[in-house]
Amino acid sequence: MPFRPLNSRMVEATVVPGQRLFSQRGAMLAYKGDVSFTPSITGGQGGVLGMIGRRVANEATPLMTVEGSGTVMFGHGGHHVHVVELAGETLYVEADRLLAFDGSLQQGTMFMGSQGGVMGMVRGQVTGQGLFTTTLKGRGAVAVMAHGGVIELPIRSGRPVHVDPQAYVAHRGDVRSKLSTAIGWREMVGRGSGEAFQLELSGEGTVYVQASEEKL
Amino acid sequence: MSSVNGPVVFDAHTLPADDNVNPYAFSVDLDGQWFLQKGKMIAYYGRIDFHGIGHGRLDRLIAHSFHSPLHAADWVVAEGRGKMLLADRSFDVNSYDLEDGNLTVRSGNLLAFQPSLSLKQSIVPGFLTLIGTGKFVAASNGPVVFVEPPVRVDPQALVGWADCPSPCHHYDHQYLRGVLGGVRAFTGLGGTSGEEHQFEFVGAGTVLLQSTEQLMADIPTGEVPDQAGVPHATPSNQPSMPRMPGQLGDLQRRFGL
Repeated sequence: MPFRPLNSRMVEATVVPGQRLFSQRGAMLAYKGDVSFTPSITGGQGGVLGMIGRRVANEATPLMTVEGSGTVMFGHGGHHVHVVELAGETLYVEADRLLAFDGSLQQGTMFMGSQGGVMGMVRGQVTGQGLFTTTLKGRGAVAVMAHGGVIELPIRSGRPVHVDPQAYVAHRGDVRSKLSTAIGWREMVGRGSGEAFQLELSGEGTVYVQASEEKL
Repeated sequence: MSSVNGPVVFDAHTLPADDNVNPYAFSVDLDGQWFLQKGKMIAYYGRIDFHGIGHGRLDRLIAHSFHSPLHAADWVVAEGRGKMLLADRSFDVNSYDLEDGNLTVRSGNLLAFQPSLSLKQSIVPGFLTLIGTGKFVAASNGPVVFVEPPVRVDPQALVGWADCPSPCHHYDHQYLRGVLGGVRAFTGLGGTSGEEHQFEFVGAGTVLLQSTEQLMADIPTGEVPDQAGVPHATPSNQPSMPRMPGQLGDLQRRFGL
C-alpha cells in the first residue's frame, strides 16, 4: 500500500524505483530521499491521444510524475484526503479531486451523458461533473480530496443511495447514477426545501460523500 | 471533549489549564505575564490587563524577552490572573514546550509565548526564533506533522524547525535534462511541476510541517531594519552608482564613511 494517512489532510506515499506515481502539481509538501517531480505534459497516461481525450472532456488537470526512491508527503489546499484502495474495480472521480494515484492504475475518461439522456446532462451541471468523468481502474491506491471528511456509503442492489449532488465525491463499482427530482409546487413559488435535486445511485458498489456542500 | 453529546459548558475552573479546549482553541492559565499576538485572544476569565509593547512599566520584561522591534506593533503583554482563550481563524492550534532549546516558527503562526522564552527575528525572512525554556502556542493550517531531517520541504508547508541548522534552498530541474527536457526548457511547453524549489534541512533536529501549502496570512517580517551592519536583501547601503575604479568601495562602507 503506497499511501499512508498522516492526518486528516495529509498522506505519505512510498516511492520505489520502477514504480511511478501521479500527483496533482504543487501538491507535494515534503519529501525524503531521492525523488524527482516531472510535469506530465499529457496529464497522465495514454500518451497524446489520452491527453486530447482529457482536454476535450475537460478532465485535464495538471499532473506531475513522481519517481525515484523515498517517501513523499502530499496535501493540497487544506482539503481532507481520503485514500481509496482499488482491487480491480473502477473508481469514478472528477480529475480535480485527484491528489495522487498509483501509476499502475489505468486512467480513462468516461462520457456520463449517456446515463439518463437530458437528465444526465442536468445531473452533470448540478454536480459540477460536466458530461465527463475520470475513471481509474486496476490494482492500487488513490488519494482523493474532499471538503470536510469523507463518508463511505455502501450501495447494494435494490437499495439505492440518495446523495446531495454537491456532497458527492466519487463512486466505485458497478453503479448507475441518475438525478432524481422532487420538484413540486413549493419549488415553483420559491418555498422549496433546497433539496430538489438528488443523485440516486443504484447497483453494487460504494459512494463517497463529503461532509460539506462546498465544491473544491 | 465529547462533541457528540452536545456543547460542553466551561467555567473558570473547568477550562483546561495550559491545554487545548478543542483543536482550534487554547486555554492559558495565566498567573503573571504572557506575550500574545494582537487579536488572538477570544475570551478571558479573571483580571487580565493587556499592555501594548513600548516604553513604560514593562520595559524590563520587554528588554529581557522581546527582541523584535519590527513586531512591537503586533504584540501585546497580557498581565494578571485568569484563564485566557486563544484562537486564530479556526486554524489548528497547538502548544509546544521548549527546554533550553531553540525553535524557529513562521511569524504569522506564532500566537503567544511565555516571557521565559525570548523572541528574536530569524535571519530567514518571515520567521521568528524562540530561545530558552517555556511554553508557546502556534497555529497551523491543518494539523502539524513532525519530520526529521534530512528532508526537503515545500516552502509554503513549512511551519518551523527546532534544533537543526537553518535550511538552504534546493532547486530541482532534473526534468529539464535530456532531449525532451531540452525541448521543454526551450519552448516552455509542458509547464513546471511546481516543485522545483524546496527548503532542504540537514542535521539533527525536528521540522514542523502543516498539512497544506496554503499559508495563513502572514505578518510581514522579512524586512530587517535599515541599519549599518545588518545584512540586506536589497542592499540599499550599496552605492547606487556603478562603482568607479579608484573608489574605496567596500572599505568605505566598512569604515562607515
